Amino acid sequence: MRPAGRAESDSLYFDYPYFPFVRPPELDGETPRHRVAIVGAGPVGVTAALELARHGIDCVVLDDKATVNDGSRAICLSRHSLEILQQLGVDRRFVAKGLGWTRGRTYFRDREIYRFEMPHSDQERFLPMVNLQQQYIEQFLIERAMESERVTLRWQSAVSGVTQDADGVTLTVSTPEGDYALACDYLLAADGARSVVRKALGLALHGEAYEGRYVIADVRLKSDFPTERRAFFHSAALPEATILVHKQPDDIWRIDYQLGPDEDPEAAVREEAIRDRVGLIIREVMQERGDWELEWWSLYKAHTLALDDYRHGRVLFIGDSAHLVPIFGVRGLNNGLADAVNAGWKLAWVLQGRASARLLDSYTPERRGATLDVFANAGKSTRFMTPPSRGYRLMRDAALALALDNDYASPFADPRQVTPYTYAESPLTLADRDAFAAGPRPGAPLINRRLGDDDFLLDYLGTGFSLLLFGEASPELAAALGDHPELRVLHLGVEDSALGRALPGDAALFAAYGAEPGSAYLVRPDRHLVARWKRPTAADLNDALNTVLGDARP
Amino acid sequence: MTTSTLPFNDLERVYELLAEALDDLPEAQETPFLAQLALALAHRIPDLSEVEAAIREARRASEDAGK
Repeated sequence: MRPAGRAESDSLYFDYPYFPFVRPPELDGETPRHRVAIVGAGPVGVTAALELARHGIDCVVLDDKATVNDGSRAICLSRHSLEILQQLGVDRRFVAKGLGWTRGRTYFRDREIYRFEMPHSDQERFLPMVNLQQQYIEQFLIERAMESERVTLRWQSAVSGVTQDADGVTLTVSTPEGDYALACDYLLAADGARSVVRKALGLALHGEAYEGRYVIADVRLKSDFPTERRAFFHSAALPEATILVHKQPDDIWRIDYQLGPDEDPEAAVREEAIRDRVGLIIREVMQERGDWELEWWSLYKAHTLALDDYRHGRVLFIGDSAHLVPIFGVRGLNNGLADAVNAGWKLAWVLQGRASARLLDSYTPERRGATLDVFANAGKSTRFMTPPSRGYRLMRDAALALALDNDYASPFADPRQVTPYTYAESPLTLADRDAFAAGPRPGAPLINRRLGDDDFLLDYLGTGFSLLLFGEASPELAAALGDHPELRVLHLGVEDSALGRALPGDAALFAAYGAEPGSAYLVRPDRHLVARWKRPTAADLNDALNTVLGDARP
Repeated sequence: MTTSTLPFNDLERVYELLAEALDDLPEAQETPFLAQLALALAHRIPDLSEVEAAIREARRASEDAGK
């Protein structure tokens, strides 16, 4: 919502683009068969489109809007997400515009009781978190998609019906110039919390809705306070409300505050109520003295809801259409982007006949597993941020009071920010046979290492599968690599290599991966690890690739 | 300081167990319940100085919070 007299697209800092309707060939009697259709041009849908394009698959993206999102909404991009954006070739704009951060503070009764620092080192290309308004996130992705010959964006095109059979999916699309049927091999539903595709298939989300409601409000305010996450509990100004504050680009500040259990949400989102409460927080809680302007606000309720299965035949659900998670810990968008990439590369490999269709069976266990892990963490965060009962409130305040002087109680105040999920139980992951003292375990994403100035290990990953090879390979493995031309070999710690790309690798890099000369890590297109070995044989490598790709491989 | 303490994951579990136990009680029984619990827990700690330190920590937190 915006202040009276301002249209939904009338922002203090963002120029909303207008995306015209372009008449598609279907409206003129043609019946093209699309390989993949994506419903929803939000950050998750367009990320899926760019991932498909990266693997050489054409797709069409449908959205009922003529512009990007109405407000800043999801503002925190995790390092894992930035590494996804790097693989899509769009990271630079996000880093240039976004505000990176590593720290946060927790206040109880207006006293700072805890500071947290997210894991970070000079081995990383990206900061652990970057704040950027969702309109920019969408704009940067959409502009990249517009440059791609493989992605067709169809604006002002609302999906009103979905049917599927064994061979494909048919959509009914409503446009300013009439309705048409669109046929595709596979459909990605990225149409958000109120997914039309989900309803059309008669599916429902299951789980819990928490009692706590929050107002999320953006203001423009000049302040030198650094980019950190601040959480305020039991402030003198608003003792009953938990308050969160984040800085965004363009002098925009995000203020989230909890509504009391007896407050009428409709009254709480009226402009005067927002101005009163936000003004009080800026003056009394943030201790800011400058002028401020109200930009945008919305109401938010915490949920832990998910589909029982993220794939139904030829329809895969990605992002909020599959799961709704509480905002605490910034998991909604970041997990949505991971869904998009997971579904994207698997679909591409199946459509190209490079993997058996069974590869798609791993989508639900991997990404629903990630959601359930989020629920376990976010449930705790939510009960802490928004105690659902007298008992939880008493315990929360007791933990915060003890945390004033006792470090053992401080972890209660930790925001449990998003961390990438490890696909340890996935059918695509091979458990360790050899003992590794360090390094990402099977199913986890690769860790980055600095190789030089503006030069990092992850920069060298290919679009397909990669093999990190540490030092000299056994002659048998070296010979076997000739049978896998599709595998990108990153040969670490050698001057030059006949097997792949030679890269520097010192003792510290070997140690970080627990590697010895001859060790290898097999990596999926989404940077997650399939398997690792101290001394792999040709059969080890072949078995691991067969586990992932099945018997469809040429 | 104690030489061995409850791991944080277990402390977190205690937090949840207590929250649920408190919710099951009438509000008037909260204070007696917590005092009884303190005695029952103290019985399980073989070192008086540890219990005294815990009393000081809780007391200090109450005084800080009351400021």
